[in-house]
Amino acid sequence: MISDSNSRGSFNQIHKFARLFLLGCLLAAVSGCASARGGAGKADGAGTLRAGAAAEPSADPRRLVFPPLDFQLPKSERVQLKSGMVVYLLQDRELPIVNLTAYLNAGSIYDPPDKVGLATIAGATLRSGGTVQTKPDQLDRELEFMASSIESDINADHANVSLSTLTRNLDRTLALFAEVVTKPGFDPARVELAKSQAVEAIRRQNDDPKSIASRELNSAIYAGHPLGRIPTLASVQAISREDLVSFHERYFYPANTILAVSGDFDREKLLARLEALFAGWPNHAASFPQVADPSEQMSAQVLHVQKEVNQSVIRMGHLGIHKNNPDLYAIKVMDYILGGGFTSRLTQEIRSNQGLAYNVDSYFVTGRRFKGPFIAETETKSETTGRAITLLRSIIAGMAQAEVSEAELKLAKDAIINSFIFGFARSDVVVNQQARLEFYQYPAGYLENFRANIARVTREDVLRVARKYLHLDAMKLVVVGDQKKFDQPLSTYGSVQEIKLEIK
Amino acid sequence: MKILMRSGILLAVWLSAATCFGQGLADKVHEHTLKNGMKLLMVPRHTSPTVAAWIRFKVGSVDERSDERGLAHLLEHMLFKGTKTLGTTNYAAEQPILDRIEATAQKLMAEKLKRDQADAKTVERLTKELNSLEKEAEKYVVKEEFADIYARNGASGYNAFTSKDGTTYIINLPANKMELWASIESDRMQNAVLREFYTEMNVVKEERRRSYDAEPEGKLWETFLADAFNAHPNGQPIIGWMSDIENLTRTKAERFLHKYYAPNNAIVAIVGDIDPQQTIALVEKYFGAIPPGEPVPPIAVEEPQQAGEKRTEVIGDAEPELMIGFHKPTLPAPDDYVFDVIDMLLTNGRTSRLYQKLVLEKQLATSVSSFSAPGSRHPNLFIVSASPRAPHTAAEVESAIYQELDRLKTEPMTKKELEQILNHLEFEESRQMVSNGGLARNLTEYEAVAGDWRYLIEHRQKVAAITPADVMRVANQYFTRENRNVGFITKKQ
Repeated sequence: MISDSNSRGSFNQIHKFARLFLLGCLLAAVSGCASARGGAGKADGAGTLRAGAAAEPSADPRRLVFPPLDFQLPKSERVQLKSGMVVYLLQDRELPIVNLTAYLNAGSIYDPPDKVGLATIAGATLRSGGTVQTKPDQLDRELEFMASSIESDINADHANVSLSTLTRNLDRTLALFAEVVTKPGFDPARVELAKSQAVEAIRRQNDDPKSIASRELNSAIYAGHPLGRIPTLASVQAISREDLVSFHERYFYPANTILAVSGDFDREKLLARLEALFAGWPNHAASFPQVADPSEQMSAQVLHVQKEVNQSVIRMGHLGIHKNNPDLYAIKVMDYILGGGFTSRLTQEIRSNQGLAYNVDSYFVTGRRFKGPFIAETETKSETTGRAITLLRSIIAGMAQAEVSEAELKLAKDAIINSFIFGFARSDVVVNQQARLEFYQYPAGYLENFRANIARVTREDVLRVARKYLHLDAMKLVVVGDQKKFDQPLSTYGSVQEIKLEIK
Repeated sequence: MKILMRSGILLAVWLSAATCFGQGLADKVHEHTLKNGMKLLMVPRHTSPTVAAWIRFKVGSVDERSDERGLAHLLEHMLFKGTKTLGTTNYAAEQPILDRIEATAQKLMAEKLKRDQADAKTVERLTKELNSLEKEAEKYVVKEEFADIYARNGASGYNAFTSKDGTTYIINLPANKMELWASIESDRMQNAVLREFYTEMNVVKEERRRSYDAEPEGKLWETFLADAFNAHPNGQPIIGWMSDIENLTRTKAERFLHKYYAPNNAIVAIVGDIDPQQTIALVEKYFGAIPPGEPVPPIAVEEPQQAGEKRTEVIGDAEPELMIGFHKPTLPAPDDYVFDVIDMLLTNGRTSRLYQKLVLEKQLATSVSSFSAPGSRHPNLFIVSASPRAPHTAAEVESAIYQELDRLKTEPMTKKELEQILNHLEFEESRQMVSNGGLARNLTEYEAVAGDWRYLIEHRQKVAAITPADVMRVANQYFTRENRNVGFITKKQ
C-alpha cells in the first residue's frame, strides 16, 4: 500500500530524532498553526548547484562557499468577483490536480457561552450534513467516486472549506463545493451524529497527559475569555440544528469569503465558473459579536493534575503578543535562541547536556485577532520534575539577564532568513499564504520586508524584548504527573491548585 | 462470469490510463548507482529553489539481535553527535576520554546486572567516575554542530527516523547548498563519533516514557505487537524495552554502525531544483570513495503459523480502544495487493464499509481505520482499529467488525467499488508528488522494501487486475479466528 508517512493513524511506527519543531510549522505557514510568515530581500544568480566547482571531498562544511540563490517572492493573482468575494489564483500545471480553500470570518470565539462547541459542530456538519439539493449519502458517494474531497472545519477565528480534485473532475466538484458553502443541508441525523461524536471526544479528553496539560494551560492563560473555553456535555447538548442554520446564515456570505485556488486550472474558465456558481449567493450586513481582549492582569499560578504515570508533563506560559507588535521580529529572534530548534538554549541544556527530556521547546504564538500565548514545554520522568521546572525557569530568566552572544544572534538571524524560502515551496502553500495575509489584515509589505526586518535585530533588541515580554513572575505552571514521586514538591513554585479531572 | 468479463473491459481502460501516468513518473526519475553500491534516485522539479534529500539505510530494528533491541534507534540519535572533525574541538584529546567512559560504563552495567548481589559502593564509585569523565569529555564538545551548520545555511526539517525496516536521515535545503549536504553526510557516513552516548541514552528513555509508558494508546500498540509475533523481530519494539535501552553500549552501537551504515546499504533520493548530471558528479565526488560495508543478512526466523486467537488487554487510565490484526504476507506478494483493496473497501472514506456500518449506521464507534503494520520487509499484519463510542463496548465493536469481514468472504466486491478504488489511486499518484519530501520518502521507502521504486508506478495496474473472487479468497484465507490478534484498552476502575 502506498502511503505517505502521515496517513497511518495514530500508532507510532517510527521513531524520530526529534519532534518537528514549531519553526517548520511557522515557515511552512500552511497548517494554520501560526501566522503567515515571509520576508524580503532578493538574491541573484544561478539557481542550481555547480557540482565539482568548490572544494575537495574533505571540504570543511564550515567554510564552504555557495553560488547565489535565485529566488523571487512568488506572487499569486488577486481577483474580486462581482459579489465581493476575493479570489487568489496561482496556476501550476505540473500535476493534474486542483486545490481550493475558502476562508471565512467565523469561529468558536463567537460561540454563545451556553453553546460552546457551536462553531466546531458547524464546521463538522457543514460538509457531512449534505446540501439542500444533495443528501449526505449522495454527496459522499459522488465525491468519493471521483476521488474528490470537500472538507470543512471551523477554528477559533476562521472557517475553512476546502476542495481537492483531479483536474478532470473540477467542474462537478466545484459545483458541489458551491452547494456546501451556500446551501448546506445540516441533515438532522448527521447533526446528531456530530454531537454524539463531540460528546465522546469530551469523554476522552483526559486520556492523554500531554493534551490535558496543554488544555489546562490554555484555560489558565485565557481565563474568562472565549479563547479559554472548552465544550462541555451540556453546551454540546444545547446546540440545535436551527443554531447551525442561523450560524451559516450569519457568517457565510460572499463579502466574508476569500478563496485560494492553486493547481491545474484554466484562469478564464475558472473565474467564469466561480462567478456563475456564486452569482445568486446574497450578501448581507456584517454582524460579529463583540469579543473583548483577553485580560492583561497576569498573575502566577501553579496547577497540578494527578496522574499515575512515570513521566510528568510540564507546561508553562503567559499571555504574549499580537502580530502588529512592533517588536515582532526581535521576539522571533529571541524565540529561536531560547527555544526554537536543536541549537536552542533549552534543548542544549535540558536535552543534550542533562538528558532530562526528549522534547523541550518554547515559543511565542503570534496572535492574529488577540494576543497569542508564550509557552514553554517539556516532559521528564517523575523523579526529575522539579529539576526540569527549575532549569526551564532559569534558562528563560537568563534571556533577560544578559545580552545573547554575537554567535547566537547570527545563527538565529541566518537560520530564519535563509530558510525563508521554504514558506514558498509549493503553489498551494503560496496561494493560501496570500489569502491569509489579507484575511488577517497583515500590513502591506509584510512578506517583502520580513527578512530585512529580521536582519535589523540587534543583541540589545533581544535583551530588551526578553525583559519586556517574558514574565517569570506571571507564569502559569501546569504539571500533569504523579506527585508522590516528584523530587521537589510543586509548592516550591507557589501555592498549588489541584485540578480534578471530571467530565462535565 | 458476467462480472468478470465486464471488469475485463474496464481493466483495459484503466490499464491505459495507469500506464500513461506511470510513464510520466518513470521519465522523471533519474537513477544512478555508485561503484560502492549506493543507489541514487533523483527527480528534478523547479517549482521553488529548494531540494529534499533523504538517505535511507536498509537496516532497522528487525535487524537487531535480542541483546541489541533499541540499538538501531539509539544509533539514529547518536549519528547527530558529530564526526572526527565536526562536533569536537580536538578529537585526538577527546578520544582517550571517550574510551575510558566506555570502559567505566560497561563495568557499571555489569555490576548493576548482578542485581541483588551488586555492590552498592562499587556502583556509587563507578557512577561518580562516569559522571566526572563525562564532564571532562564535555570540554571538547561543540554542541549540535551539524544542526548549527545546517540551520545557519537555511536548511529545514533536519531529522531522522527509525522503523522496523530502515533508518532514514532527512533534510530540506536551499538548492544552492547541495554541496553542504554532500560534505556533511559523506563525513557522517564514514567518520561518525558516538560522543555523549550515555547522556543520549537518557534522552531515549524519556522518549520511551513519552510515547509508550505514559500514553495508553502507545502502550497498547507495543504490547499488541509483541504478543502478535512469537518469534519474528517484527514484534520487538523499535525503541526497545526500558531494560534493553539501559544495557546498550557504545561498543555494540559502533559494531552495528561499522557493519551496516555503508553505501551498499544506502538509498539516496534527491528531489527538487537540481540538475541530475551535476548531482551525480557531486555525489560521486563525495561518496564515491567510501568503501562498502556488509550487506544486511536476511532474517532466518519465520513466524510460526498461529494456532489460535491471541488476546491482549491493557488496563489503563483511558477510554477503550480496539485493534484487530491478522497475519499476512507483505509486498510485493500478490495477496498484499488484495489487502490494499480490502483496506480501501473497509475504511477509506465515508462510503467505506466499516465507516458506514460502525460510525454511521450502528454508531458503535467514533472512528475506524485499517492499515498494514508494523513493517513491510517481512510478513506483517492487516490491522483494523476503532474507538468505541460509549455506552458501546469494545466487544460490541469487535463483533460488528467481524460481521463486515465475514461479508467480504461471501459477497463479491462490486465493479463500482473497484472503480472508486482505482480513481482514488490515480489521485494519490499525483498527491504524493506535491511535495519534494513526500516524493523522496516514497522513492526511498519502496526502493528499500519492494526492491524497486517502480512499485509506485505499477501499483495501480496490479490493483486493477484484482477480481471479486480474489477478495473473497483472501478474506476466507486470512480472516480466521486462528490467525487473529485482538488488543484492547480496558479502563482502570
